[in-house]
Amino acid sequence: MENRVSPTPSEPHDLAPEVFLDEVHSFEFWFQAVEGYLSTSPYGRKPELADSDLDESEREALVTTLCNYAIGETAALDASSGLIRIAPNRRAKIFLATQVVDEARHLEVLLHRLRELGVVELEAEVQRRANHSLLSFRNRLLQFVDGRDWEAAVFAQNVILESMEFAVFQAHAERADPITRQVLSGIIKDERRHLGFGENELGRRLHETPHIRNRLQAVKNDLDALVLGTFEDTLEQLRVARSQRPELGRRYLASVERLGFGL
Amino acid sequence: MSDFLSAYSIQNWLESCPQGYLEGTDYGHEPGAKEPAVVLDNPTLARDAIRTTVQLVVGERCALAASSGLINCAPDYGSKTFLATQTLDEARHVEIFTQRLYDLGVKKSDLESTITEYANPNLVKFAEVLLEKIDKGDFIAGVVGQNIVLEGMAFSVFEMLHASMNDLNPKFARTLSGTIADERRHVGFGENRIGSLIREHPERKSDVERMQKDMTYHMLATFSSQFATAGEAMTEGRRLMQDSGGNGDGAPAPIWHGANLSTATPEEMEGVLSDTVLKEFKVRLGRIGIDYQTPVAP
Repeated sequence: MENRVSPTPSEPHDLAPEVFLDEVHSFEFWFQAVEGYLSTSPYGRKPELADSDLDESEREALVTTLCNYAIGETAALDASSGLIRIAPNRRAKIFLATQVVDEARHLEVLLHRLRELGVVELEAEVQRRANHSLLSFRNRLLQFVDGRDWEAAVFAQNVILESMEFAVFQAHAERADPITRQVLSGIIKDERRHLGFGENELGRRLHETPHIRNRLQAVKNDLDALVLGTFEDTLEQLRVARSQRPELGRRYLASVERLGFGL
Repeated sequence: MSDFLSAYSIQNWLESCPQGYLEGTDYGHEPGAKEPAVVLDNPTLARDAIRTTVQLVVGERCALAASSGLINCAPDYGSKTFLATQTLDEARHVEIFTQRLYDLGVKKSDLESTITEYANPNLVKFAEVLLEKIDKGDFIAGVVGQNIVLEGMAFSVFEMLHASMNDLNPKFARTLSGTIADERRHVGFGENRIGSLIREHPERKSDVERMQKDMTYHMLATFSSQFATAGEAMTEGRRLMQDSGGNGDGAPAPIWHGANLSTATPEEMEGVLSDTVLKEFKVRLGRIGIDYQTPVAP
């Protein structure tokens, strides 16, 4: 976007801690990060990419899966936008504003893909196919935001929800049709940034105030059943063999465990 | 409605804003551009520039809180995605105007105390009226307050500042031109989206009109107190301009809505700004079926 003297997104770790946080939580950094994979990919995909021939059961399963991704992204959009008001400083507010537009873009590209798959009444279809565990997860997340509980909300959204989406989207991308794979790949790149913010923000807080660990562990215990329920339904739709499902759980736990939250 | 909302998609925003008029800019201006030495070296002008920029930061912080707060209560996906783009626009405005404070010599450690010192109390009250509606999850009042009243005010203030800075401070003028382009989009969404909601919920009109009246009162009070203290800096700026021969080489004087901005008194500037904003309010509110309410004079 511009010719800044500051490092590119690939080398921000060369910066001093305070400058680093200013840099990676800026609009400028966000734009440098996304323009490479968005500028030539309207709606998250190369326009020349041809659609695959899906049979009716494959299409049906994909529509249900994408409808639930749309629910997850809407939850993330509502939660990240709500977090701006309670963010403790300007740089966190600006980072969250970039996350808001990322989540809205994810929602938009998923809805666009659903339209391509023949879905007409998008909002009604998404509601009709909603996974109950995911809806419960969304409600818990928004309760944390409405309750102005910054640590629990960041943990639920930027660690647990993002880790869950990261693991599911990766697994799905490995076996998806080419268009869906490309759409998911762009989303996964954004999720890495969001996870990074959550880990950084909570990592620092856990270091400074270790007593919050027990509370966040309780949040995780509360949400784990909902995450696993969502995983199970999604993997069923994706027709992932039962023998391969534990690997997905491990990927999810690896993200969460980096903060010291094991089972 | 869905057709109109498709014009406000993330995809369109990406193509028109970051990949469009912001392409090649650094914090909204040409890379390497500096504040003019005449501003940085003169304590009166520097203080006035900081004071003005603080009001922009206060207004943009309010817009960031309001636009992000509206997403959760937006009734459809199209409105949510538009408000997401507006949220990032407002965050960018907070970032670039904060950066201008640093460029004007404010230390990072002094940022919040500087904002507290210079923030106009009337502008803070203006923001509180709006954010009270957002806190209640009132989408209709929130969008009218944010996208018609706040954005309408910001649009005219930025235009006037841009007209007065175009020759004197190209860096700040360029920053403003990007924000003006954003505000135009935000105002357009407000008019388009809320008109139908007001028609569906006519019972909400009186409450929305009361909010508009309160916000307008605090806006006019902000203008009044800002211009009441602007005389010294305006006189100093014009004296330095004359000494340096500026605007004396046949360049046209900056004219905005009939006012010569290089000779107008603070009272005349306040008058033309207030008149312009209020005329715009009446037109835009009329388009969505709201009757403009005149507040008492501050």
